[in-house]
Amino acid sequence: MGDDLPLDIESIRADFPILSRKLPNGKQLVYFDNAATSQKPQCVIDAMSQYYSEYNSNAHRANHTLADEATTALEGARSSISTYFGTSPDQMVYTSGATEAINLVSYAWARDNLSADDVIVLTEMEHHADIVPWQQLSKERGVEVRYVPIDTNSFTLDMDAFEIAVEGASLVCVVHTSNVLGIRNPIEKIIELSHSQGARVLLDCAQGAPHERIRFDDSEVDFVAISAHKMGGPTGIGCLLVKKDAMAQMGPFMTGGSMIKTVSTDGSTFQEGHALFETGTPRIAEAIGWGAAVEWLERFDMKEVHSHINEIASWTAERISTIDGITVYGDPSRSDSSGAVSFLHDSIQSQDLALLLDEGGFAVRTGHHCAQPLMDALGVPSTNRASFWIYNTMGEAESFVNHLEYVVSRFSDK
Amino acid sequence: MTESRDWPVKLDPIVEEFSACFDSMERYELLFQYAKRNPSPLPPEEWDEGNQVHGCQSRAHVSCTLDEDGNFVLRGGADAQIVQGLMAITSIAVNGMTPSYVSEMSPVFAEEMGIRSSLTPSRANGFLNMFKRVKDEATILSGGK
Repeated sequence: MGDDLPLDIESIRADFPILSRKLPNGKQLVYFDNAATSQKPQCVIDAMSQYYSEYNSNAHRANHTLADEATTALEGARSSISTYFGTSPDQMVYTSGATEAINLVSYAWARDNLSADDVIVLTEMEHHADIVPWQQLSKERGVEVRYVPIDTNSFTLDMDAFEIAVEGASLVCVVHTSNVLGIRNPIEKIIELSHSQGARVLLDCAQGAPHERIRFDDSEVDFVAISAHKMGGPTGIGCLLVKKDAMAQMGPFMTGGSMIKTVSTDGSTFQEGHALFETGTPRIAEAIGWGAAVEWLERFDMKEVHSHINEIASWTAERISTIDGITVYGDPSRSDSSGAVSFLHDSIQSQDLALLLDEGGFAVRTGHHCAQPLMDALGVPSTNRASFWIYNTMGEAESFVNHLEYVVSRFSDK
Repeated sequence: MTESRDWPVKLDPIVEEFSACFDSMERYELLFQYAKRNPSPLPPEEWDEGNQVHGCQSRAHVSCTLDEDGNFVLRGGADAQIVQGLMAITSIAVNGMTPSYVSEMSPVFAEEMGIRSSLTPSRANGFLNMFKRVKDEATILSGGK
């Protein structure tokens, strides 16, 4: 076994300066926390740095050279990013990330279009960002919220239960790929069933977008929430992709500068299209950085990237499941699994285990991963999670398994 | 060993044991052992919002009382073994001392043991939060503000 893969991983790794870092204890960093955030290629860092050092200016607000350059770069990034996601710029709203994108749908679409007679369908595996906004809406407007359970044997969504839950639904909100289990949900089937009931569909693609090419216009989905920082872009920016007919049903969310046409003491008139929802000074540097990230990603066939990640995750999950006391949650061997491997040891508490793994240089996450209902369904308070991305190697996975075996042999109750 | 007496004499063997450790993993192993032999555990059935230490990454709970001689008694529990081990050592340090002594104690013994440098900043803050809680409780029990 080795890195005999179509991608030139060493060349990819060379684009990420942080990957050569040694930790204070002298250990080589092995970054397995990509589901929390990804590392950034040098071109993203350079693009943002160049903006601040050469043409920093507010966009859309002046006619001087710097403002023109900043505006061109901001809208150029929108064009690159929307093209990457298979849609046009007019169906893309910049947000601070997937969380704000989902809240945008909650405030700008749901509050104008849903009432106490309506039903929202969620799942037990949703991230809190796709649960709490709908719970708040339910408290305010009396909208019914239904939760589709997971099958805890297969770690997949119970689609029989989904077919029942979606009857009479107005909005279905589903995570594309679970940040805990790595499971990719049957999105196409979910959209078909939801639309047959007249429900709009929102997909949380925060974990899906780094692993699969989202083709928005080719899909029937109504809303897609994406975060840049999990796909090589900077933190603080993301987008809501929204079909034109759904956008036409949306009212203002945050109000103030930029989203207005006119303001007087008698009232205000508002912009149309995505401009209605982009209030205040844009996240210019972040957008430019994200544009550089998608241009970098365009070099790769995401099917090859997915295959590379899936191979590492499957092998890792299979190996660690043979370690005494380790339980793996999810099924990373599935061909559509995204590369998140959640696991627990039966006597080494998850935070202790994460710290002991860190001593070996391995960055993994521990906790409820902002998915407490899923933790409840799994019957655990937390998990450890190793999550892989394009620059991780099978060699790193082998080292990880070796170190985990060592930690278990030294620290578990025998 | 430093000449400072910022910790009671009974802690000296433990401080020596930890400062002789070869590396962080050996210190963690010792903490795991101390967690198992915590002399005054607070069992999970007694954990509540009132005795929870906030600012810890893991769940940590402390109960501080006085024994019949008016000396300090710390019982502590945590879901993570490393934190439980730190609580066990703190219990050994403070149990049986006067509450006014405990209220004046400094956590410098953790530095001497090499524990502070082994912990991540957030985990070290968790230990300090726990220690501060114990001192605050001791201040109250000694009649101070």
